[in-house]
Amino acid sequence: MDTVDLARLQFALTAGAHFLFVALTLGLATLVAVVQTRATFSGDPVHLRMTRFWGQLYVINYAMGIVTGLVMEFQLGLAWSGLTEYAGDVFGAALAMETLVAFFVESTFLGLWIFGWNKLNRWAHLAVIWVVTLTAYASAFWIMIANGFLQHPVGHVLENGRLRLVDFGAMVANPAAQVAFGHVLAGAMVTGGFFVAGVSAYHLRRRTVERDVFRKSLRIGLGVALPGLFVTATFGGIGFQTMQPGKVAAWTGSAERLAAAQAELAAVHGPGDHLPPVDVVQTAGITMLVLFAVMLFLGGPSFLLMLVRPVVHGFRPWHGLLTLMIPLPFAAMLAGWVFREVGRQPWAVYGLLTTSEAMSPLSHGRLVFSLTAFTAVFGVLIAVNVWLLGRHARRGPGAVALGDRPVEAPVPVLSF
Amino acid sequence: MEIFVLAFFVLGYLVLAGADIGVGMALPYLGRSASERREVIAAIAPFFLGNEVWLVAAAGVLAGLFPELEGELLSGNYTMVVALLLAWVTRDAGLWLRGRVPGARWQAFWDGATVAGSWGLALSWGGLLSHVLLDIQGPLAALPALVVAALFAAHGMTFAALRLRGVLRERAAVLSGGAGEARTYALTSAAFLTVGVLAGLRLPLEPGTSGPLLAPVVLALIPLLVAAQGWVWWTFRHRVTGPSYL
Repeated sequence: MDTVDLARLQFALTAGAHFLFVALTLGLATLVAVVQTRATFSGDPVHLRMTRFWGQLYVINYAMGIVTGLVMEFQLGLAWSGLTEYAGDVFGAALAMETLVAFFVESTFLGLWIFGWNKLNRWAHLAVIWVVTLTAYASAFWIMIANGFLQHPVGHVLENGRLRLVDFGAMVANPAAQVAFGHVLAGAMVTGGFFVAGVSAYHLRRRTVERDVFRKSLRIGLGVALPGLFVTATFGGIGFQTMQPGKVAAWTGSAERLAAAQAELAAVHGPGDHLPPVDVVQTAGITMLVLFAVMLFLGGPSFLLMLVRPVVHGFRPWHGLLTLMIPLPFAAMLAGWVFREVGRQPWAVYGLLTTSEAMSPLSHGRLVFSLTAFTAVFGVLIAVNVWLLGRHARRGPGAVALGDRPVEAPVPVLSF
Repeated sequence: MEIFVLAFFVLGYLVLAGADIGVGMALPYLGRSASERREVIAAIAPFFLGNEVWLVAAAGVLAGLFPELEGELLSGNYTMVVALLLAWVTRDAGLWLRGRVPGARWQAFWDGATVAGSWGLALSWGGLLSHVLLDIQGPLAALPALVVAALFAAHGMTFAALRLRGVLRERAAVLSGGAGEARTYALTSAAFLTVGVLAGLRLPLEPGTSGPLLAPVVLALIPLLVAAQGWVWWTFRHRVTGPSYL
């Protein structure tokens, strides 16, 4: 592999790993906030147990989202300084907005939510989880604005070999960003919904004593996942209209369209291969669509089955099926990202800057070192965290540490 | 204006996160048993998420307001920045994972990750700052890097002295002597501010072209961000009275 391939692989692995956790974070945060709202209004201990149980899984998952996200943010400057130099004045603005408007607040308030349990007033604590959830959406929004610019650059002019932002509104209103944001956010609801439904089904299948917790949770999970599928598909469908000609041509595989897209880009950029790899784009797109079909085929009847209480408590083959479905949205998400990102190749900023031009001047050895180190560390941490998610999910609400009241509480003394 | 925004987040990071990194470095000294270590970690637990995010914000500001410098600084110090990130990830993993499974070996392992990651973070910062500040690279850079790492550790100790009680507080206060914990913390903070400002003066701080649009937005946001952090500091203003969630 040459250095560009290594740098691409490094970014793809980091972003892919990051997104697995992000998708669950966005979905679970929403469900935790909804459940905590019910718990706060009703004071019902079942709702409180649900909040703490799903909240604990949310926090385990979130920690991995942070560490992979950090590495992703810094990788832009590390390995893609050609991109930051050429387009940083435009898409860097969206990244700056993401860190300040969204992630800074999200992280600060998440600390307050985790450690402020039984310390904050319960209404304040509820407000905090909603701020965490909404800033998580805002974070996804600004990241998609940045990504949408790379897919379909708007709102800029080229000056002295660098892009300059002239129309902030156009960059934010970019359909390639807005539609993808809707697609991704709804996809995250599907991910969170099937996760909650699958874990709940596991416990119901084992004849849990926490029947109320998991019956309600299963209904919330499927109740979010099925509408989420429709919304995801709607945005996905509209998304095909916002795609660059190269990606559409690769997806359809039509020789005519491929030649047209190639000719259009060659007219501006001269001879060369300006098209994405057709087989990868098609495989990723088909994988995503097949997984969507499977989820819809199983999710639709499940939505009806969950309305019947004895079925929810006792239909064990169905429980097993729901648990087996947990990985499907994750796989569909990854396939969707491969479709979107590989389909943009060989461009970093479509039609303006190629991926090889975007790369930092780095030696082969340095990239092999960082790729090996990141892959090893993240490989271990992801394995440990997936195992922990499974372990804590299996243990049920009885063993949750989040929101536990301290055993002994001496008189507090001010430290500053 | 752009330079003020960048300085605000970088200096904020050094002073705030410097303390929790330092506590991680001093963890084996401050906490001699698993339960003591858990209490020491409780001193930084509610803050470290809100502290490390200052660096995420600084990187965002760099990307938006100084994109050219972002590329030069990060790709020009590739190995050091990669080491810093690996240490950061290791430290965070240690903090998050230590309490997930009961068992002495599991906790000792992840406490080890917290300590190693904190040292790695401090030393990478030392290496980066000595490159920017003194233009030293290679084996000789180990010397200034160790000085910076010592500053991190000292800063962490002064913060721990402010947050802990009893014997843990006494251990942490060993550097303060009779000078008072708050004053020692102010002193190590001032040292960080000085190092940060001096390093900043050595950087080619040429803003990009999005400043006139972006910088006012960021300036308007700063009071809100500080207020959010202020709420955390207010909520956890008391000395640690026992183990936290981590």
